[in-house]
Amino acid sequence: MFEILGFEFFRNALIAGVLASVACGIIGTYVVVRRMVSVSGGISHAAFGGIGLGYFFGIDPLLGATGFTVATALGMGALQLRARQQMDTIIGAVWAAGMAVGILFVYLTPGFAPDLFSYLFGSILLVPREDILLMGVLVAIIVAVVALLYQELQAVTFDPDYARVMNLPVERISLLLLVLIALTVVMLIRVVGIILVIALLTLPAAISRLYTTRIRSMMVLAVALGIVFTLTGIGLSYLLDVPSGATIILVSTLAYAGALGAERLRQGD
Amino acid sequence: MTAPVIEVEDVWVRLRGHTVLEEVSLAVHPDDFYAIIGPNGGGKTTLLRVILGLLQPSRGTVRILGATGAAARREVGYVPQFRTFDFEYPITVREMVLSGRLGHVTHLPRRYGPIDHARTEEALETMGIAGLADRQIRDLSGGEQQRAIIARALVGDPKVLLLDEPTVYVDAPTAAQFYSILDKLRERMAIVLVTHDIGVLPEHVTRVACLNRRLYTHDTNEITPDMLEAAYHCPVDLIAHGVPHRVFSDHPEEE
Repeated sequence: MFEILGFEFFRNALIAGVLASVACGIIGTYVVVRRMVSVSGGISHAAFGGIGLGYFFGIDPLLGATGFTVATALGMGALQLRARQQMDTIIGAVWAAGMAVGILFVYLTPGFAPDLFSYLFGSILLVPREDILLMGVLVAIIVAVVALLYQELQAVTFDPDYARVMNLPVERISLLLLVLIALTVVMLIRVVGIILVIALLTLPAAISRLYTTRIRSMMVLAVALGIVFTLTGIGLSYLLDVPSGATIILVSTLAYAGALGAERLRQGD
Repeated sequence: MTAPVIEVEDVWVRLRGHTVLEEVSLAVHPDDFYAIIGPNGGGKTTLLRVILGLLQPSRGTVRILGATGAAARREVGYVPQFRTFDFEYPITVREMVLSGRLGHVTHLPRRYGPIDHARTEEALETMGIAGLADRQIRDLSGGEQQRAIIARALVGDPKVLLLDEPTVYVDAPTAAQFYSILDKLRERMAIVLVTHDIGVLPEHVTRVACLNRRLYTHDTNEITPDMLEAAYHCPVDLIAHGVPHRVFSDHPEEE
């Protein structure tokens, strides 16, 4: 199978998989420890609204998704500060409304929407060079922000009340974290698609949590696991000639199930 | 008399149409061990949240060391009600205690210096959990977790320590140990202790107040039947189990 590495599209796919895994491992760690899985699910499905708007206004759908997703994340963050009780319902509403906006605008766009399906389910083998560059820039931003604000992010995700007593800018840091989640989600759309984003964002971090005791080490292991899962998924999908996004997710899910089972056995001793 | 560390003046709080705090005023002095007791739902946690600046009162002011700004809250150590945060969070005891210094690190990007680390080791030592420093908080027992939470409040060199129902989830020996630690800390800072359990008030309390929407106090360390009755709206039996000294004054025999 190594002759395949000679093709640029395949090398791009591998690079995209690695970049996505770095973002997932770092941001997914916060999503898992702060229990923001459903918020992230809402944000990622709202991205479809941005893709629909992108088609309608004739701009790059991924650019539309970036703007729309960041705006949704900020909106949810603002709501979370005010209406903590109904957050569950609000997430559900945003989740569905984002998809609805997308469907409406795709319908209203004259002509055929070329690769709509690839936004929903991913198409890592079709990632163009420019997107790789964009992903690289996003990963650099995420790594830099987390490195600079590591202590603040830890304090705010661990105990926001105490962080506020210490006079940290808790609201701004929470909103920033939501924006980082939104940017990560947009990156992942190319790799596994809107529907499957949430799995790649959370599963490597969730497995990593079982074996690590600190945020930093949890991130490192989650990145490594993400790389293993995406590369295995891409390889398998090529060998078996099946969709890559779904294969990556199934590899991750099986690994998660295996890790949970192993943990059960270990604790049963 | 020395200037108070905390001054609460005519504070009112209305939440969702209900008056939770009404005309509450109190002053905590540097050598105070102030106990605030009252029934569940009486506004104890709300009052602490107002003092900490986590909740904006509808009316009234809170001054910490004479200042109203958020920066003054760095002088307050806070021990929240047990289990208000996620104990599954991947953090070691040392990291958690160290995080209590973050309010003192003001230059950006925030990085801990040698003083922060030294204070952390001191606090771990004071609370007797230095040997557990590299363990995850979820692997500690309830009493150990609580000592870690207090250590986090101590690293900031607070002038006053606020404790919210600190003994609810720990067993009696652990609670006794806990109060002996508080007695040691009294020499260094004022302490405000909030609890619904009037049977647990420790020996060296200097002031007691009852809180049930309004605050009732005689500015002494005695609970009187009229305070309790006002706070609980019903006669309360003044029977204290295992209280090392008598916090209750003699009250008239009714039968």
